[in-house]
Amino acid sequence: MSDGLHPAVVSAQPSQRDEKNPDAPLFEGEYQDRLEKILSRYPFKRAALLPVLNMAQQVRGWISPDTIKRVAEILELSPAYVRSVASFYTMFQLRPAGKYLIQVCTGIGCDLCGAEDVVEGLLKATGTRIGETSADGKYTVVEVECLAGCGFPTMVQINDRMYENVKAEDVEGLLKELD
Amino acid sequence: MNDEKKLLNVTIDGVELEVPAGTTILAAAERVGAVIPRYCYHPGLSAPAVCRMCLVEVEGAPKPLASCVQPVQDDMVVHTNTAQARKARRAAVEFLLMNHPLDCPICDAAGQCELQDYAFETGQLKTRYVEPKLVMGRDKVTPEIVYFADRCILCTRCVRFMDEIAKDPVLVVINRGQRGYIDTMTGELFENPFSINIVDVCPVGALVNEDFLFKARAWDLDQTASICPGCSQGCNVSLGTKEERIVRAKPRFNPEVNSYWMCDHGRKTVINWGAGARIEVPMARDGDELKPVDWPQALDALSEAIGNEPGRARAIVSAGASNESLFTLRRLMEELGSDGGVFRVPTGPEAELPGFPKLKLRRDRVPNAKGAELLGFQRSDAVFDSAQGHRGALFVLEDTLEGAPDGFGTNAELFVYIGTRLNPAARSADIVLPSTTFAEMAGTFTNFEGRVQRFEQALRGPGLARPWWLTGSALLERLGAGGRYRTAAEVFAALASEVSEYEGLNYEVLGLKGAGAPGSSAAATAG
Amino acid sequence: MAYPHAHPREVRLLSKYFGDEDAIGIEGWAERGGYVALEKALEMGPDEVTEVVKESGLRGRGGAGFPAGLKWSFMPKDGKRPNYLACNADESEPGTFKDREIMRWTPHQMIEGIIICSYAIRAQHAYIYIRGEMVDVVRVVNDAVVEAYRKGYLGENILGSGYDLELTVHLGAGAYIAGEETGLLSSLEGRRAEPKVKPPFPAQRGAFGMPTTVNNVETLAAVPHIVENGADWYRQWGTEKSPGTKLFSCCGHLQRPGNYEVSLDFNLKELVYDLCGGPPEGRQLRAVIPGGSSVPLMTVDEIDCDVSYEGIEAAGSLQGSGGLIAIDDSACLLRSIRKMVDFYAHESCGQCTNCREGTVWLANILRRIERGDGREEDLPLLLDVGANMAGRTICPLSDSAAVPVVSGIQKFEEEFVAHIKDGTCTAVR
Repeated sequence: MSDGLHPAVVSAQPSQRDEKNPDAPLFEGEYQDRLEKILSRYPFKRAALLPVLNMAQQVRGWISPDTIKRVAEILELSPAYVRSVASFYTMFQLRPAGKYLIQVCTGIGCDLCGAEDVVEGLLKATGTRIGETSADGKYTVVEVECLAGCGFPTMVQINDRMYENVKAEDVEGLLKELD
Repeated sequence: MNDEKKLLNVTIDGVELEVPAGTTILAAAERVGAVIPRYCYHPGLSAPAVCRMCLVEVEGAPKPLASCVQPVQDDMVVHTNTAQARKARRAAVEFLLMNHPLDCPICDAAGQCELQDYAFETGQLKTRYVEPKLVMGRDKVTPEIVYFADRCILCTRCVRFMDEIAKDPVLVVINRGQRGYIDTMTGELFENPFSINIVDVCPVGALVNEDFLFKARAWDLDQTASICPGCSQGCNVSLGTKEERIVRAKPRFNPEVNSYWMCDHGRKTVINWGAGARIEVPMARDGDELKPVDWPQALDALSEAIGNEPGRARAIVSAGASNESLFTLRRLMEELGSDGGVFRVPTGPEAELPGFPKLKLRRDRVPNAKGAELLGFQRSDAVFDSAQGHRGALFVLEDTLEGAPDGFGTNAELFVYIGTRLNPAARSADIVLPSTTFAEMAGTFTNFEGRVQRFEQALRGPGLARPWWLTGSALLERLGAGGRYRTAAEVFAALASEVSEYEGLNYEVLGLKGAGAPGSSAAATAG
Repeated sequence: MAYPHAHPREVRLLSKYFGDEDAIGIEGWAERGGYVALEKALEMGPDEVTEVVKESGLRGRGGAGFPAGLKWSFMPKDGKRPNYLACNADESEPGTFKDREIMRWTPHQMIEGIIICSYAIRAQHAYIYIRGEMVDVVRVVNDAVVEAYRKGYLGENILGSGYDLELTVHLGAGAYIAGEETGLLSSLEGRRAEPKVKPPFPAQRGAFGMPTTVNNVETLAAVPHIVENGADWYRQWGTEKSPGTKLFSCCGHLQRPGNYEVSLDFNLKELVYDLCGGPPEGRQLRAVIPGGSSVPLMTVDEIDCDVSYEGIEAAGSLQGSGGLIAIDDSACLLRSIRKMVDFYAHESCGQCTNCREGTVWLANILRRIERGDGREEDLPLLLDVGANMAGRTICPLSDSAAVPVVSGIQKFEEEFVAHIKDGTCTAVR
């Protein structure tokens, strides 16, 4: 089964979908095909680690210890090594998040232009605290470092979507748009 | 390739010297006696240059350089101890101590801690860090090694040992920045036959062996150069002893044998060697009973028994006995007419250290099988068969006699047991002589490839126990069969003049790193 | 004047089609003159291409300003080992958002530069290491790469030249330090993005242990223009030491934040007050950071200089990545500095002692001063900790973290003193 993706771009597929299935099989069907395409782009297996973790996260929504072991097996690495690498990068979710992972940039550019109010608004609207998933499992709000959109403050990323110029008063509308 | 051999001029702290191209500043500095402090650098591992402790000033360089990785360049002028270099070091120590719990009073590493040493040396006694400290706690990484995250300075020596030397990358850094710590795969403990080396390489008290935890303070330990008796590899070790007990063994560097490493089995063997109830006094048979006697009485009894011509001598020896003791027994047996001796070798699975493949936990779990062989003893899987029904003189040297058949030795005209523990089979001996373990005497073992290595005395033997070579040579003197030896070195000299494989060797040649017997596969590499 | 705030005083080489939806796809890009430079380059020898870039004086736009052509010339030509190009699209320096816009509006401009550079350095495989968080931009780049393959600009025998090149888009996963050259290479190899000691330099031992050139998106995007029009043409802008144009990402307290492309001899003060329109109505600017959070703060009095590498340096800061952050009198400068230090503490890879511990220490002191618990000895302490972090580590992140603190104290001491002595802030609310 092929997913039609060009091998050049298989290693760069955004990985935070709305639908998360923590028990989905890894590396089967179209993902088997993707795995092979990823491996074809690097001179050795270890180099495929970030793309493969990314794909695993796309499939399951987060990187569980079980996922780590599977990835280690596929790439002939030790599970500890894979855990170490995964824990280095902030985009790998080593804990399950809500359906919508809401990342608010609070870097200097956005901070100067009211990011704090946006965070506050989002926490109020979702009834959560930073990093905590709302009771209905829908939202997790986190502060992140600079999202490289300092000219369009405040930058907010929700799963695979980027929102620019978000103001505190936009928060309600933003959350409504998600459903 | 020629470049490698090219010699470069370098001036270190005013001393000029020549070093081969590729030498690091740190290595060059050691040659002129300038020891540059370091944490992440370990001579047996790659150098990541992350602790930033070994910074030195190089003339013409805009910034201080990490001496552990910086290769010497021709006409380089290095200063290891300028105000700038000292400030850099003091800063690194201050940074490392920011979150350090300073729990030295209960830390196993206290007294052998490089953080303590350099904190003292750099003179930064009062911290300027007044913010709350980060507290992370502790966890096990193997069934017996505990990791104290708060003491850890993230030098990654342990990570690199497991990755580069054990080639079993089970230990890693988790997270990044100040939230980093060392761990295994989530929720798993790892097991590796060489795991305890990570405790040795830890420059602080972050990784500690539960076996040693709270048992002793480092400064209370006496250190003695020795050889691990755990297998036929002959790892060079340093025995840490306290109050006449071995508390631990740590590897002693020997590039020909074990580099900086040793296996876990060896460490445990060392600690347990000679444990349990010991024979503390000589004993002689009086009817049905073995009665304690003093040494003169014991030797009287023995020389009398030998005078009665008990017949040809057979022996069961231990391959854990020293060359000196085995040689002494051989001499005695020759006096009586030797009928041959045997030894047995317990075995176990082999384990190689992949990053230093010369080092293996070897199948033969005794230190001196090769030595026993060279002295004419036969390796046997059925040592008791030869003694069975033997009617002459029977000597058992340090074999435990575990598994001996009922009635062992009862047919012998004379049964002499020389050893450390009185197992039931030994109770039928006519004379029992208490001997000492490898830790309680000086001597040599010959490892699997014929390398002869000395060990020094670390402990006193219990009670009246004495090395067999000492009592044996006293006996030989009485029998008019040779001079009395007062030191193990003298016995070895006699051995070397008699046994061709040891020709040309003596204790001075052996030094503390040993030497291959000439003609053996480890030919003459005296260190 | 479409793209957010284009200005007639700009020199729009790279940014000409920002805001033009039709320039994104390959057809539209070709209509706008795309891939002409590639055809020209493929007719030249690889070393000839390198020579042109060398002569143009193009300097690396990622922050360090190293001459691009010179960097290319370090690559081995013997073909004994594979050579690689890594396009650094991991833009994450706070205040910088120019690469994002190049990729978002003109992905083919970058791809064309990548192909030309790969040809010049004899690479058979190039990687775009793109920041994972840029989800929208990633999609644009992916589409453009696939288009370029379909058109025969990538793959085997490009435009019949006999030259083969594979290009792979590689997604980062959230680590600022992966934008550092050796950190990027570590990451590309499936490791933690930990920087490595140099030497060896990437041109000797880079990606996968092979010779590698690492260039920033903006650097590579400038290459087609230079190859097409020549070195002299490019040198009509800028200064002798800083030829050409550069994108400045301007953010913070400005009337018209956004990307502005100017000749490298443009005046910084005019960039801030004329192009960006200065601070919002009724506000006064207090500080300008001209090159991303890693460069020293400037007072408003200092910014009357040209934006060349040497011009900004002479005025007391650095051009860095061209991420200009303007801070007006409504902001607590101490908080802004602390936010920047927090960033470095969060992003420190943690290998080097001084950086791992120093970044957090600085942030903790600043936070305590902000809270009103500052002590007089904190100022000399901050400066000394900063000094102990600078020039002592494998990569410059540690230096970067100390920069806002040290320059902040040097230039805005009154802000710190007000917090420490009176528990007040000099900000005008």
